[in-house]
Amino acid sequence: MAHSTIFRGSQENIATIISVVAAIAIISTFQIINPSFLSPQGRITLVYAMSYFLIAACGLTMVIMMGSFDFSVVSLLKLAALICVLYIDDIGLLVIPLALLVCTGFGFVNGLLFAKFKVPSFLATLGMSLVIEGLALYLSKGFLYMITNRTFRALSVTFIGGLPSIFYWGLGIWIVSIFVAFCTPFGRHLYAIGGNPTAASLCGVDVVKTRINAFMLSGFLSGLAGVLYMAQFGGGSIEIGADMSIPLFASVVAGGTSLAGGTGGPHRTLLGVILITWTQAGMSMLAMGNDIQLVVFALIAIGMSVLTTNRKSVSVVK
Amino acid sequence: MNNSKKKHKTLLTVTRTIWNYPPLLMTIVLFIVFSILFPDRFLTPINFSSILGQFVTLILFALGPSMVVTTGSLDLSYIGVWMLGGILVWRFTPLLGMAAILVIPLLGLVTGILVGIIQVKAKVPSFILTLSVSAGYAGLTSVLSGGYPRVVRGYEFLTAKLIPYVPTALLWTIPLIVVAVFIMRSTKVGAYFYAIGSNEEGARLAGIDVDRYKILAFTMSGLLTGIGSIIQFQHLGGSVPLTLNMNTLIQPLTAIVFGGTLLTGGSGGPDRTIIGALAFAVLYRGLYISLINPEILQLLIGLVLVLSIVIASRGLKGVTIT
Repeated sequence: MAHSTIFRGSQENIATIISVVAAIAIISTFQIINPSFLSPQGRITLVYAMSYFLIAACGLTMVIMMGSFDFSVVSLLKLAALICVLYIDDIGLLVIPLALLVCTGFGFVNGLLFAKFKVPSFLATLGMSLVIEGLALYLSKGFLYMITNRTFRALSVTFIGGLPSIFYWGLGIWIVSIFVAFCTPFGRHLYAIGGNPTAASLCGVDVVKTRINAFMLSGFLSGLAGVLYMAQFGGGSIEIGADMSIPLFASVVAGGTSLAGGTGGPHRTLLGVILITWTQAGMSMLAMGNDIQLVVFALIAIGMSVLTTNRKSVSVVK
Repeated sequence: MNNSKKKHKTLLTVTRTIWNYPPLLMTIVLFIVFSILFPDRFLTPINFSSILGQFVTLILFALGPSMVVTTGSLDLSYIGVWMLGGILVWRFTPLLGMAAILVIPLLGLVTGILVGIIQVKAKVPSFILTLSVSAGYAGLTSVLSGGYPRVVRGYEFLTAKLIPYVPTALLWTIPLIVVAVFIMRSTKVGAYFYAIGSNEEGARLAGIDVDRYKILAFTMSGLLTGIGSIIQFQHLGGSVPLTLNMNTLIQPLTAIVFGGTLLTGGSGGPDRTIIGALAFAVLYRGLYISLINPEILQLLIGLVLVLSIVIASRGLKGVTIT
């Protein structure tokens, strides 16, 4: 049951409507409480919160569309950001291709473990995330680092038309992701595998290769998000992405992409990302602690997972 | 005639047991390796009691989930139950006195029932569900604690020293382990768990009420974790941390995998997890003693987890993995 068309089935529509209504309700609430929420300065804040998140979420969406899970997105983001800040003084802007290469390489390993060695995807990526975290810890030694290279920072903070350049990066990646999902054979294969892997393989889809490619893409986008994150913030330590996992996952699910795979896609993820990151920004604005935010996102994650799972088509869920 | 037959049978069982548990061999090998490498630091009574202490921590968290794993699902809610339970104990001690500690098993039971129902009825993948539950509970813990770690006194009798160098918590843990292993290996419930894990559709077609038994698995896991958390609470100092530590989350999972329980279900269980926990404790303490960089330690543990999963997943031809 591979649905990739945008309007399809009442199940998807219900989830979409709920997300849209929730987003509008939340944004309105925050705007009423603090009128500067949607002011030009506020909009810039929201854009800063949203853009790198959107890029990472698009990568995760591709994997979830396939019915798998990538736990290492946040760790790769952290690693890429740290690689940039640690080595930019030594090799200048070459850190960017280096970071992207490393992250894609880890994505390749994830895909290999999953597709070739039959390790369940969440376990493979969970284990790899431990390795990546260990590597990041070893490289950074726990210290805080800052970037002074103006060119690198210009990647994210150059203002074009009143909004920082990272916004256009996020928008561009999002559009490209939609294109890949709907207009390329690779995208259709992702949906096919998500719908029914055995049927897809019988139809001639190279399941192993597509899976590896999907994880490589997820790794690449996580790395890109990390690079742009570092360019945006200009510094960081091992603490980057400390509370990012649950919101990231919640935003993909809140958008309407089902965990069972075969439905949803990057076009839906934008909605989820807006819902989550703007809620996050709003809650921080109201000085609600990280702890309450965590509870809220966990609830959203569970709630939206429940709503988006099509109970009739999925027979066995572990 | 009967007597000699019985003796023969016992010998067979013992031999078969040793042959069936390769992780036991691994534990012994690791032990020997570390003893040779670092005799002065590894072979001390303090080190042994540290190993046992870590074993207790691991097994108390891993016992419940290892039952759920045999059905093919995952239960990561133990961290959340422990943390939230600990803070609730602090909250309820003024009201209920010493009986406040019973809040933790209650929380575990309720969580288990909820998770089971949501997993079965809403078909949410258990990994995500229980992880989100743990995250949510961790957040609640921080909210309820007001931001400071809270210590609850009065339960020290649970871990008062009895046998030198053996953590008393271990003595409390043994009944729990016995109960868990008994349920899994000697009751109908356990047999059904294995059936569901091996082939859920087949079990359903054979007439097993899969939904009911899956909910039961989660409930038992929650209850067991809850009871274990009572001991765990005092074993770890009478207080709980306020943030979700991924390492603490992963280690019991590693112990389960080490023991040889396939994460897709159908085999293994608490009896294997005991050995897995022991193996992991020995490995961890050995690496710790070797005074390598803590960063490399974390890297190594991650690598070890990945490797052991790969090895364990070798026998999964034909199973659809997501």
